[in-house]
Amino acid sequence: MVGKTGERPGRDALASRLIQVGFLVGLVVLWYLAATRWGVNRLLLPNPVAVYDNLLDILQSGEFIDDLNTTLGELAVAFAISVTCGLTSGYLISRSSYWIEVFDPLFAAIYSIPIILFLPLFVLFFGLGPASKIALGASISFFPIVINTIAGFGHVDRLFVTAARSMGASDYRLFRHVLLPAASPVILTGLRMGFTTALLSIIGSETLASLAGLGHRIVHLAEAMEMARMFAYIVFVVAIAVTLNTVVSTLEARGKRN
Amino acid sequence: MVTAETAIKVRGVSHQFGEEGDRSFVRALADTSVDVARGELLCLIGPSGCGKSTLLNIIGGLMEPSSGVVEVRGQQVRGPLPRHIAFVFQENSLFPWNTVIENIELGMIFQGVAKSERAARAAEALEAVGLKDFAQHYPSQLSGGMRQRAALARALSLQTPILLMDEPFGALDEQTRMILGEDLSVLLARSRKTIVFVTHSLGEAVFLADRVAVFSARPGRIKQVIAVDEPHPRKPEFMTSAKFTSLRNELYGLLHDEIRKAVQQSAAADTAQAALGRA
Amino acid sequence: MAAATPGRRFAVLARRPWLARLVVIAALFGLWEIAARWFVDPLFLSPPSQVIASLDKVFGTRGVPAALQLTLFELTVAFVLAVAIGLVLGLAIGLQSLVRRSFFPIVLLLYGMPQVTILPLFILFFGIGAASKIAFGVTHGMFPVTVTVVAGVQNLKPILLIGARSMGASRWQIFRYVIFPHMVPSFFAGVRLGMSGVLLGVLLAELYVSIAGIGYFTTLFTQNFDPTKLLGLIGVLAAMAIVLNAVVRRAEAHFAQWRTE
Repeated sequence: MVGKTGERPGRDALASRLIQVGFLVGLVVLWYLAATRWGVNRLLLPNPVAVYDNLLDILQSGEFIDDLNTTLGELAVAFAISVTCGLTSGYLISRSSYWIEVFDPLFAAIYSIPIILFLPLFVLFFGLGPASKIALGASISFFPIVINTIAGFGHVDRLFVTAARSMGASDYRLFRHVLLPAASPVILTGLRMGFTTALLSIIGSETLASLAGLGHRIVHLAEAMEMARMFAYIVFVVAIAVTLNTVVSTLEARGKRN
Repeated sequence: MVTAETAIKVRGVSHQFGEEGDRSFVRALADTSVDVARGELLCLIGPSGCGKSTLLNIIGGLMEPSSGVVEVRGQQVRGPLPRHIAFVFQENSLFPWNTVIENIELGMIFQGVAKSERAARAAEALEAVGLKDFAQHYPSQLSGGMRQRAALARALSLQTPILLMDEPFGALDEQTRMILGEDLSVLLARSRKTIVFVTHSLGEAVFLADRVAVFSARPGRIKQVIAVDEPHPRKPEFMTSAKFTSLRNELYGLLHDEIRKAVQQSAAADTAQAALGRA
Repeated sequence: MAAATPGRRFAVLARRPWLARLVVIAALFGLWEIAARWFVDPLFLSPPSQVIASLDKVFGTRGVPAALQLTLFELTVAFVLAVAIGLVLGLAIGLQSLVRRSFFPIVLLLYGMPQVTILPLFILFFGIGAASKIAFGVTHGMFPVTVTVVAGVQNLKPILLIGARSMGASRWQIFRYVIFPHMVPSFFAGVRLGMSGVLLGVLLAELYVSIAGIGYFTTLFTQNFDPTKLLGLIGVLAAMAIVLNAVVRRAEAHFAQWRTE
């Protein structure tokens, strides 16, 4: 173990924590000063106190409920669709290494382009309502799920399968006791990625073309130049997204530990 | 060729890692002193964790000892001395993005060798270790034994009077080790370098060394120094001679208890770790 | 198996998965064609045959070629800026341990944030012209570069640093000859992700509001219920995205040669 004497990791951790907090607090202070003392246009940068007040108001009045329901509803349906389709097709494709070789690069290639590009098409087809968001969200989040499902089932060591078969395992038994446990870490990662992309895609498509939902609300406030309230909603939406993503990541980690 | 002049003086060196009371506190070395004569090959042998690699790093200026002093050619060691000391490490220490010859030239760039001399020195070093035909290969394309030859070539090209080698053949298989050991002995007979060589292998120690310093278990101190009175280059027949066997047995006798102690120490450390992990 | 005619046909496919892939793609196009021709209202979907035949009309529409050029321009500028800023930021954060421990978590937080929520803000700050598209592309593309550069600097094996020190390397020499070349493959992986990010950012901003870019025309074709031209335009953009991604992937493969462990 070669190192310079004098490195003290414990002290470093405290110092870095202080710098982090100091930096973030400093940013907020700068924001406050810019908005109130330095004459930055209130139409560009609202007073942070006003933002805070608006946030409280939104939460207390429950104004956010309808939009939140719309967004979460779209998310739930889209995710349900992509999970079902992704897991099923992923499993079926993974049963043959030939089909894996055919479809895997295909999926990877399609996933590499920003599928949000197809939103106008979905809007043309489904209109501005939730259906177009659900369709887009499902389409985009399908790919990480199917790609990871294929990878998970496809890379199960053939040795396990052979051993189980030699002990007389039926198709169902093989699936439940060998394939599923072996593949689940990778699949869980795919599900988590699918969830985060679905959430992002739905908020994104609400921002671009919608009549309701959290993304739309932010756009609406921007157009009305209600900056403080818009900032408040941005904070709200980011908080929701971070919470949901953290929950999903924790579920993923928990699932992997088992 | 061993002269009376002392190349390396180690005086009362001890070293510890971490502070007392830390979970990771380790007393690696305790009050070690030894002299290495110019042109001598001194082997450091001992159980795992006895501090031999730590001592090597301290001699080479890569670490500052907690207490004690090391002098190299009359001056106190306070940091790396690239013009006096070159290292050969156990792990793959070649830069994987450079070819063998680029690696060797890079060593000379670091040391400060003039551009005009580098190519000639590199070619010479490669020739000496038998890798002349592999100059343009990348380390990933070479076997473990060839990689260590390349590392040795890099050290040789620096033309330092002292070589510090930390289990250079430790990661290699038995047969490769034997061949490399023989080749090293031939090389060193020609060059008169002072070498400190850390190893786990009893046979390697007796075959290569002029003297072998046997370490105790942690905290390491030198238990005894054994002389191997046999001229260089050592012939393969030396390994089957009676002298070799009796020296090897002597080493084994000194080491056996220390190795047992070291195993017990590490088992105790593992249990402590596991208990902490479960808490 | 006997070499019956259908068997032989499958045998040909069996040996060439890429051929099977083309067959799958052709089958999908076929399905699309049938659905668009006989099942779906032509107001909402056009068959691929029609889309391809009408591509020249798409390019003929006044302003479309200029819009495509503008989009390509936005993508290029955003990409170059994202890579440059990401690299500098990554080096600044990755090289010093205290700076890294303080700021890397902040970078990761920003990387994971749903940036689309602040898209309207970008428009308000940077206007509805190319600047906002470029800016949004940069913020999407720079974080993967930063993160991978920091990782590339961090996962340098300590033995390589120790070896360099023992040979007398100065701090600059260590950066130039050890840290930098080691970081290059990670950097290119980050560049590849950065390209995807830039594509996403620029196109998102374009679709949101555009007066001269392709977003203007997607809106136009949507409002005019012209699926033919819309599909044509989207197809061209998708092709552009595929090509750009392929180019960057090639560059990555070329520069990461020594990582063949």
